[in-house]
Amino acid sequence: MLHEDVQLLPFTYRVMPQGFLVVNQAGEYLWLSRSDFDRLLSGNRERMGELYYRFKGKHLVVDDDDEELAVEMLATKLRTRKGYLKAFTSLHMIVATLRCNFRCDYCHASSSDRDRADTDMSWDTAKHVVNLIFESPSPAIKIEFQGGEPLLNWDLVEETIRYAEVVNRFAGRNLEFVICTNLTMVTPEMLTFCKKHRVSLSTSLDGPGQLHDLHRKRRDGGSGYETFRKKLDLTREYLGQDGCSALLTVTRDHLNRLPEVVDHYAELGFNGVFLRSLNPYGYAAANLNDLGYSPGEFLVAYKTALDYIIDMNFRGTPFVEYYAALMLQRILTPFATGFVDLQSPSGAGISGVIYDYNGDVYPADEARMLARTGDRKFCMGNVLDNSYEELFHGRLVQDLVHKSCVEVMPGCATCAYQIYCGADPVRYYAESGDVTGSRPDSGFCQKNKGIIDHIFELLLRNDNRLNNLFWAWITSRNLKDMEL
Amino acid sequence: MNDGVINEVKPGVFCVHLAKALYEREAVFAAAYKFREDFFIRIEPVEETHVGIWFEVKRGQAINEMRDGLGEFCNEVLDQQVRMDLDKRFGHLREAIYEQAFRPINGRG
Repeated sequence: MLHEDVQLLPFTYRVMPQGFLVVNQAGEYLWLSRSDFDRLLSGNRERMGELYYRFKGKHLVVDDDDEELAVEMLATKLRTRKGYLKAFTSLHMIVATLRCNFRCDYCHASSSDRDRADTDMSWDTAKHVVNLIFESPSPAIKIEFQGGEPLLNWDLVEETIRYAEVVNRFAGRNLEFVICTNLTMVTPEMLTFCKKHRVSLSTSLDGPGQLHDLHRKRRDGGSGYETFRKKLDLTREYLGQDGCSALLTVTRDHLNRLPEVVDHYAELGFNGVFLRSLNPYGYAAANLNDLGYSPGEFLVAYKTALDYIIDMNFRGTPFVEYYAALMLQRILTPFATGFVDLQSPSGAGISGVIYDYNGDVYPADEARMLARTGDRKFCMGNVLDNSYEELFHGRLVQDLVHKSCVEVMPGCATCAYQIYCGADPVRYYAESGDVTGSRPDSGFCQKNKGIIDHIFELLLRNDNRLNNLFWAWITSRNLKDMEL
Repeated sequence: MNDGVINEVKPGVFCVHLAKALYEREAVFAAAYKFREDFFIRIEPVEETHVGIWFEVKRGQAINEMRDGLGEFCNEVLDQQVRMDLDKRFGHLREAIYEQAFRPINGRG
């Protein structure tokens, strides 16, 4: 009987129709046939044959003499991948008001009427929020104004930005501002201010006119799309072509029309789209029967749209699907990719945080939405009553961190995609009543696993042109440059 | 379908018998965890050497579907046991890697 003379290094694996996908501790992967997988498991140098060098190159095996060095190297790679944890909270979302001139069917924030000025953030609260933000140790601070429609409380947005800039003269952080707006109320004066203070805008675009207006409804009953188009042009006049990004929410009505949506994004000059599935919060939860779909239905639509986007690039139109690009970056590069909704431990509180109009603090926007429906489980405290330590080092945030490490979560601990994936405890709680959630039946798990499966299937084709396109997405370059 | 491993106890209820010498408790639990969406599951020792896992359908699956499901369960226990055996071989290194990765870098040159 052959004896084990080679030390295996930690790995996970996934059995797929194409073979065994083996992923090492740092996220590097190798496809193996069943017989080659058996050779790996044998731990025997002779049985591994020439494969030994491939296994060694991928940090799947190590000779006894090199064990310490291998541990050191894998630890360094892991540390790099988890680099997003070093900075602590960098994304700070401020709800300037709950008021909105729209009442979208899927609104996560459950907005209020335009005359509800009692749901505006006060200047006193905003000052407390900014002071608290700069207590974060993060060298990069992004302040994102949300609503409702934040432009309805423009004076506060403007004053808050000015105040944050003054505070930052002493703090010296890499400070960035974003306003999330439906654009319809934006004025030249506001855009002049945004340009001067280097504020970028983020808006919503659900597709061509009819599809955009289908679930994005103005409170006054008119079409939002026409105004949106005019204001998008106006915004670009002041802030440039890339001064405003757009976000899509995929409803049931979009599932069969994603190529049409993609075309529209490209037609309006956007460089890409994030095919984002519906989240079960706020009005979206109440309207789930009309708007929702199963993870399987979403995956079919996602794959069709991704294939369409790939083909579009091959036909000469550069266009990115941002979720696939994020996953590719995680699969093909060793770098840290911060994405609050998909990291381990979860980014809730430790990477991103949201300050409600009344000063209440939540670890994620979704947690604020749960509170709006009466469940305040995730309220970290209030900026007017609690210190930074109480809010960010309190039991709630610590509990979220402890319970959102995929490395030890049931169903995740042995998953081959663990290093590429993450946890969303607030969503788990919303779906199952438990912050640890359940797998593999949760929509979150099915969706992410399905998308990563598909990306690996595409990588397995080993198609030069496709690989060049993926690297173009990862490195934000043009496909033509990659093919030179 | 009474083959000594998978036994029909009564209509819609099956029991899987697994040898403790081959499968560890954690492997059985990890496998059962993945099937709880489709079945009500009960795990109990049946004798000194075996453990019994009872499956009751949640949503009126056909017997054929149940058979497939229980076959999948047996494969899943095997897979989980392989993962556990592997962890015994390299789990100590995983811990060492994580410990090193999250160690403060001060004083490490």
